Amino acid sequence: MLFLKHRRPFTELNPYQQFGLRRFNLKLIARLTGMMLVYMAMSMALPLAVSLYTRDGAQFALVFSAIIILMLGLFLQNFVGRGAEYELKENESYWVTIIVWLAIPACGTLPYLFTGGLASFTDAVFESFSGFTTTGSSVVSKPEELPAGLLVYRAFTQWIGGLGLMLFVVAILRKLTNGAGQLYEAEFSGTQQRKLHPRLARSVTRMWAIYSIITLVMIVALLLCGTPLVDALCLAFSTVSTGGFVTHTGGLSILGAKGLAVATLFMFLSGINVAILYRFFTLQWRRLGRDEELRTYLAIFFISILVCTVSFHTVGNDWTTAIHYSVFNIASTMSTCGFYIPKPANWSFLVSVITFILIIVGASAGSTGGGIKLRRIIILLKYVGNYFTRMLHPNAVFRVKVNGEPVENDYINKIFAFVFLYIAFIVGGAFVLTLCGSSIPDAICMAAANISNLGPSPLINNLGGNLDYTHLPHLAKWILTILMLAGRLELFALIAIFSPAYWRRG
Amino acid sequence: MLMVEGTLILSCLIPALHFADGTTSPILASGLFTFNVGLLLLVRFRRATRPSDRRASYLLVVTMWLVLPLFGTLPFLSTGTLHTFSDALFESTSGITSTGATVFSAVEWLPSSILLWRSMTQWFGGFGIVLLVLALVPSMGINKYSLYTAEASGADNTGKQTTTMTSTVQQTLGIYLLLTAAFVFALWKSGMHVWDAVNITFTNISSGGFSIYNNSLERLTHAQQYIVALAMLFSGINFALLYNLFTFRWDRLHNKMEQISFYLIVYLVAALFVIFALRFNMGFDWGNSLRCGIVQTISVLTTTGSLAADTQQWWVPITYLFVVLSLCGGMAGSTSGGLKAMRVLILIRNVRKILRDKLHPHAVNPVRLNHKPVAADITTNVMVIFLVYVIVIFIGIMLLMLSGINATESIGAVIACITGYGPGLGLSGGFGCYAGFTIAAKLICSFLMVMGRLECLTVIILFIPAFWRR
Repeated sequence: MLFLKHRRPFTELNPYQQFGLRRFNLKLIARLTGMMLVYMAMSMALPLAVSLYTRDGAQFALVFSAIIILMLGLFLQNFVGRGAEYELKENESYWVTIIVWLAIPACGTLPYLFTGGLASFTDAVFESFSGFTTTGSSVVSKPEELPAGLLVYRAFTQWIGGLGLMLFVVAILRKLTNGAGQLYEAEFSGTQQRKLHPRLARSVTRMWAIYSIITLVMIVALLLCGTPLVDALCLAFSTVSTGGFVTHTGGLSILGAKGLAVATLFMFLSGINVAILYRFFTLQWRRLGRDEELRTYLAIFFISILVCTVSFHTVGNDWTTAIHYSVFNIASTMSTCGFYIPKPANWSFLVSVITFILIIVGASAGSTGGGIKLRRIIILLKYVGNYFTRMLHPNAVFRVKVNGEPVENDYINKIFAFVFLYIAFIVGGAFVLTLCGSSIPDAICMAAANISNLGPSPLINNLGGNLDYTHLPHLAKWILTILMLAGRLELFALIAIFSPAYWRRG
Repeated sequence: MLMVEGTLILSCLIPALHFADGTTSPILASGLFTFNVGLLLLVRFRRATRPSDRRASYLLVVTMWLVLPLFGTLPFLSTGTLHTFSDALFESTSGITSTGATVFSAVEWLPSSILLWRSMTQWFGGFGIVLLVLALVPSMGINKYSLYTAEASGADNTGKQTTTMTSTVQQTLGIYLLLTAAFVFALWKSGMHVWDAVNITFTNISSGGFSIYNNSLERLTHAQQYIVALAMLFSGINFALLYNLFTFRWDRLHNKMEQISFYLIVYLVAALFVIFALRFNMGFDWGNSLRCGIVQTISVLTTTGSLAADTQQWWVPITYLFVVLSLCGGMAGSTSGGLKAMRVLILIRNVRKILRDKLHPHAVNPVRLNHKPVAADITTNVMVIFLVYVIVIFIGIMLLMLSGINATESIGAVIACITGYGPGLGLSGGFGCYAGFTIAAKLICSFLMVMGRLECLTVIILFIPAFWRR
């Protein structure tokens, strides 16, 4: 009885507490989501302008969906989220991340549904999530038949998702001082990169600036190479965000030699940490050359190109094809862009394995690319190396250092857990894909390519000639959608919402 | 050690003489040769300094697992059952590592002595030669404990039944012999010839998987298959646990409860899936799908590799599930291969720990197993083994593909060899064999088997330059 006396009566508890659930700052989450939706609706002005300019007939669908998204956003922002406290608790960042990441792509399906460009709801969800997570897996087998406005919209979703939606939240919501760092980390989980500016919001703004500038430069470069405006816009958005949506059936082969070179260069750049690019372009070159991740990136890049070229040549392709395709393939895979051009006549198994490893390794931490990220791989390999030495000298003490800074053991443990989860997701996803009728290697490659946000890869044999996912059954499309999201949110945020501890009252 | 092996080969003389199949003299010769080399080495190095540091024990273990298969090839080569060295090495390694991958497309024509030799290598190897060494040569100066960790890679150091190593080994050996005897008896009672019963028990209790029939277990009656399944189930359980179970020290079981329940739950869930998939997707009748589901799933989970039916033709998701299950493996401290239940549990628990850390950043959230916190260095050991395992699998697949084998087959073969399951995917799966592999591929596979058996770290450490530096 004594115990009961100290408890508040049931009726005084709020609904969450009545059911033993954790209390969330739902108002803030609603407000954030609402604001994001409003911005998203405004961003649809660009595809709309293209649509009006090219008279492709998609303008009504775009306007209509923009209005719905705007209304929804305003409703969430001003009614549900009225009077929100701008404070996020430690553990709420996962929730914000996951809800925003579900709400935005879900609303992003509207233009696809209204224009009738896609056959079913599943397809629209797949395409929309694939866009926002910068995966670039597509269910459109003939992109040139889509209205130009929709093409630009599709590419633009990748560009928005490129740096991450949370980064967008942090950038637009200056008021959110308490918890912004949490959000930043929920998406860039544990990359531990040095920030560009002591103030988070400022450094995020700088990241967006460099990102936009690179995109603009690429658009101009493509236009100079003689690419039509719509294609240039779409491909620039796809490349810089490491997405991978294309505008024509032949993939990037429509670009011509010069355009292809430009695209490859920008793919290469977009696999590099944005912070490093910022330093590079603001002429702060002092310590760039000593950055281990950048050096590893370059080393892997050139060594794999070399190996692939040689192995393509040995199976009977001429040197030019071998070099061209190798450079393209490695740049596209490592940055997790996932573009394609026609394969060389003779395929080499060695290239398959290298490509697969690169798919999983992915790009640099802090870039727009996906995958496990080079930085994590470097830390793990260093740790394993130390471990062997420690097996011989049990009493020695070692510390893993990256760029001269020691890495904490807790953090290494977290990376190990991450890699385990990553592989578990690939293995589990591949199981469902085999249920849908894929062969084992195809299933594994497909799962890996989607969780790494790569998208189409020449390794996957059961896709259409255009490397599109049109023919897969619905179950497979849903599973791939989950994998894309899991990869983009770096797993933990997605796992967290399935963990009972995150629902229970703490 | 070679002496032991020589004795074993000699013991194959018994069936050779008994069945008078004309393999007597080659077997005798190879047995004597091995025995003598062993003796010679023992005499020669009797006065050698007794190494007691870690390097020596790593080196010893790896050398042993490389040398024993070498001598194990002798019976195959001398009797002319296998003509090339790579074939013989593959078969012999597969036996001693209790993998069960074979290059024979049909085994029934083989002389019975060779069949017994194959079964015996598995029985011998499955138990872990190192444990035998400890029991037979207790006077050796090697730090026994470090040798023990080299074999079992420290996954389960807490599992010792008693405080001294030697008596642990003797007890374990006792259980092993007891189980073998029990299952030979059970199979014999169920109407099998003693010869068959011995062979089948040898290969299944050691989670090996060689068979004396072309169609593995399919030839057996249903009751016999279930008996074999039980033997395999036991082969995936930790010896310390079995010891406590059989000596009625049930109060001690709780420190392994989570591992065994994980092992059994994984088994049940997988078996259910397989049963339903066979029934509704492949059109087996209930009896057959039940039998195949139960027998085959345990065979995979304990990485035995005995086959209740030709799995080569089975539905792709089932074969894929088998690959994943064999990676998971049985319990640590058993004869089975794979990552082991305990490691998988620790890996999963660690993910949970990370999530808890996020939720309660200021609390201490250790990884718990059986309600006790797991020491941090065990967790890291598990993680490192997992990572190295994955990397080795990648490299293995790359090498096999380079030697001209297609992707499905490479994945199947590498995982079958490194986990010790045996049958791969495609041509090497089911009742098929590895005869179609190139010489290079066979050598790679043999190496992978040793690698998997010694859990990677022990082998890889020999390639670290620091190992050879003073």
